Amino acid sequence: MQSVTRPPQNNHSDTALNLDPTILLPPGYYQHTYMQSGNMSAPAVLLPSDEVPRDNLPTDNSNPLRLGPGLRILSQPSSKGSDHVLTATQAGMLSIDAKRNAASLLTFPNRRYIPTVNDFVIAQIHHSSADFFHCVITPHTPHALLGQLSFEGASKKTRPMLKQGEMVYARVQSVGVGAGAEVELTCVSAATGKAEGGMGPLSGGMVFDVSTGMAARLIRASSAPVENTDPIEGLVVLSELGRKLESLGGFEIAVGRNGKVWVDCSDAAEGAVKATIAIGRCLQETDQQNLHAHDQKKLVTKVLRELKLVS
Amino acid sequence: MVSPILSQLNRPDGSAAYKCPATGYNILGAVNGPVELPARRDALKPEEATVEVFVKPGTTTAGVAERYVEGILRSVLGKVVLGREKGFPRRGVIITLAIAGGENMDRGDSYLTILPSLLHAALLSMISASVPLSMTFSAALFGVTKTGDIVRDPSPTAAKASVSLHVFAISSKGHLLLNESEGRFDFDTWELVHQRALSVCQGTASADGDVTMGEGAASASLHGLIREAVEDQIYSDYAYKLDSI
Amino acid sequence: MRPAHPKEAAQKPTNFIEPARPQPSMSSREEPLSIPERDFILEALGQNLRLDGRQFDEYRPLNISFGEEYGHVKLQLGKTSIIVRISAEITKPFEDRPFDGSFNINMELSNMGSPAWENGRSNDLEPYVLEALDRIIRHSNALDTESLCILKGVSCWAIRADIHVIDFDGNITDAACIGVMAGLQHFRRPDSVVKDGRVIVYGLEQRVPCFNDSKQVIVDATRKEEQAAEGDLVIGINSAGDVCYISKHAGAPIDAMLIVTKTNLAWEKVKVLNAIVDKALQADLSKRADFGMADESRAANDRLIQPE
Repeated sequence: MQSVTRPPQNNHSDTALNLDPTILLPPGYYQHTYMQSGNMSAPAVLLPSDEVPRDNLPTDNSNPLRLGPGLRILSQPSSKGSDHVLTATQAGMLSIDAKRNAASLLTFPNRRYIPTVNDFVIAQIHHSSADFFHCVITPHTPHALLGQLSFEGASKKTRPMLKQGEMVYARVQSVGVGAGAEVELTCVSAATGKAEGGMGPLSGGMVFDVSTGMAARLIRASSAPVENTDPIEGLVVLSELGRKLESLGGFEIAVGRNGKVWVDCSDAAEGAVKATIAIGRCLQETDQQNLHAHDQKKLVTKVLRELKLVS
Repeated sequence: MVSPILSQLNRPDGSAAYKCPATGYNILGAVNGPVELPARRDALKPEEATVEVFVKPGTTTAGVAERYVEGILRSVLGKVVLGREKGFPRRGVIITLAIAGGENMDRGDSYLTILPSLLHAALLSMISASVPLSMTFSAALFGVTKTGDIVRDPSPTAAKASVSLHVFAISSKGHLLLNESEGRFDFDTWELVHQRALSVCQGTASADGDVTMGEGAASASLHGLIREAVEDQIYSDYAYKLDSI
Repeated sequence: MRPAHPKEAAQKPTNFIEPARPQPSMSSREEPLSIPERDFILEALGQNLRLDGRQFDEYRPLNISFGEEYGHVKLQLGKTSIIVRISAEITKPFEDRPFDGSFNINMELSNMGSPAWENGRSNDLEPYVLEALDRIIRHSNALDTESLCILKGVSCWAIRADIHVIDFDGNITDAACIGVMAGLQHFRRPDSVVKDGRVIVYGLEQRVPCFNDSKQVIVDATRKEEQAAEGDLVIGINSAGDVCYISKHAGAPIDAMLIVTKTNLAWEKVKVLNAIVDKALQADLSKRADFGMADESRAANDRLIQPE
């Protein structure tokens, strides 16, 4: 889904967001006055051990409430039997999605990525063994396993021979249970057996590092509906780049939740390297300096001019 | 008051700079986690995360005193880290604290004077790295003078002249997380200092009438200081969300 | 920390054009660069482009500021960030050098600078950088150790520089060298015994060009550029323009003429970097003057905390 074709806004997909459905509360736990989801004055920032204010929670009683990472449910014995409270385990801004009946925490964007099932990641091959490629998702964590045959149409004869240092766009298939569990990746969709969303080896192009928060933001923005013309998640940098680089042949990007963005402009012929550098710099600066929408546009203009890609 | 700064470093997963306004100690904290700990695979707890603390003095090589204070920090921080959350079992949370500014400590000086600053820097760095925590806390140093007065955050010179020194860490729920004392004191004194610590950390007036209200009223509580620092950083990181509301 | 004897310097082979050896891992245990990244960085260099838009001979923005204490430097070179602290204590001089104080540079790479560095363990980068600093600052007598003598054979000052790498994005040799030099110039010894109370410092700077297989030479490489490089060359030049250190550590062979041309480039850079350090020192001095802290004797008195 993150393989954005040109122009980037055209991409959309029905793939589920990366909300961790770790805890599903049965309906009916929260019966409070109905509040519209958008009317919080200032979004609540929670610190570890803070309780989630119940007023903010969605009140759709027909569906279970979905909790994202950073929130947990605690049972407290009280006079009326046991009472459930939601508390934060990380610091972040409470984010409520009333439509999907979900609550999650927006935590610090710099944090380390923790593999979660169904996430798209960009992994680097470290070495291969008889059945697996051992891949690095984040530095200095145990390797994730990618089956040698977990590629579209792969058989013993046709499987890709990936070398150390090559990169793949893959989906987290499982993270195992309990301590010491291994993370497994796959490059095919379990349902169709096809490499959906551009999964597979990434050849050529360049991989840029961004914060995990930025990666999540890019993914959320790219999965928004096409007809939405407002800046999504405050991001206009990609659409702006897409518009300005269209004449050069456009570009392809793939976003990994582990804070990596693969950019390929091979259609741009001579301008390919410059265009790739421009995209990388715009993304990284937007990320690091928390640029607002109009500053993102200025940045794109500035960078493209510096690289002499536009006059 | 200089408020702590979070997430200013690029490489570590989380970082914080904490400057203690009274003692002048400037601590830089960084946290990486969850990461693999290759060196001590056997010693790892199989079901939860291992918390490692490393204290790096500003102008000397780390020695016995640092190892000692690391032990104290490890036990406090280990209590608040939820080491069984997803991604953390068998991995390490590595906390590095560098004494980046402030008076040099001579060998044999009490490490208690710097302990609260180290604790705050470590806590804020862990929050910045989004390490799951069961609670937050704040810590304060008190000296008891010869005349029996309780001084909050005595300077290193004043600390040397004190009869006893106490460091308390109070959790956001009001638990006593850490109690380190040295010198001569009786239980009544300890109880007084404890009450004072509760009011300094939580910012609530204690039931005990002795507590001077001056500092409690003038400056916010330490819990409040921590909360503000975190809120500031979250609001600046998610400025794009706030604009759209 | 490191054994220190000027004689070492003399034994260094003068032939620095060595056969190609595999480039040592410049950033120990750092995850290796991926193939797309390496290929792209090299391809871009082939088109005279660097990822951050710099020219080949352009440094990243250098930002130096000083802390409240003397000799406390905060230095940022792009995203590489270090803190240098200079301290002094009174000690007994070495038997064979009764007139000399001592000066030591200490650097311990911690998990703060990079998740790749393990706390309490040394790695390849540490000795590499320390050797360069040792040669450039210590062995070339950038610091006048004789001025550190208090009483012949009885007491002298031991000056110590502690380098804390708090954020690593390549080129700590330059950052550390500039930081230590700035720190030494900023430092005031906590004594009123010696007139002036100032450590005598002769300015010195240095630079690291880094080059890849197509013989493109760039200065101030970032971490990823360092990882993609085939070799590196360190040239140390003091403020008088004398070359006091050249190291061709390992990696691809290098043309002798290149060393000559790059030394000229280094000299240009040294002047620029020195100007930045001087400006930062001046800014700090006027800031202190505003606070009435410029009075050196007062500062010295404040710091009279050394035990006898």
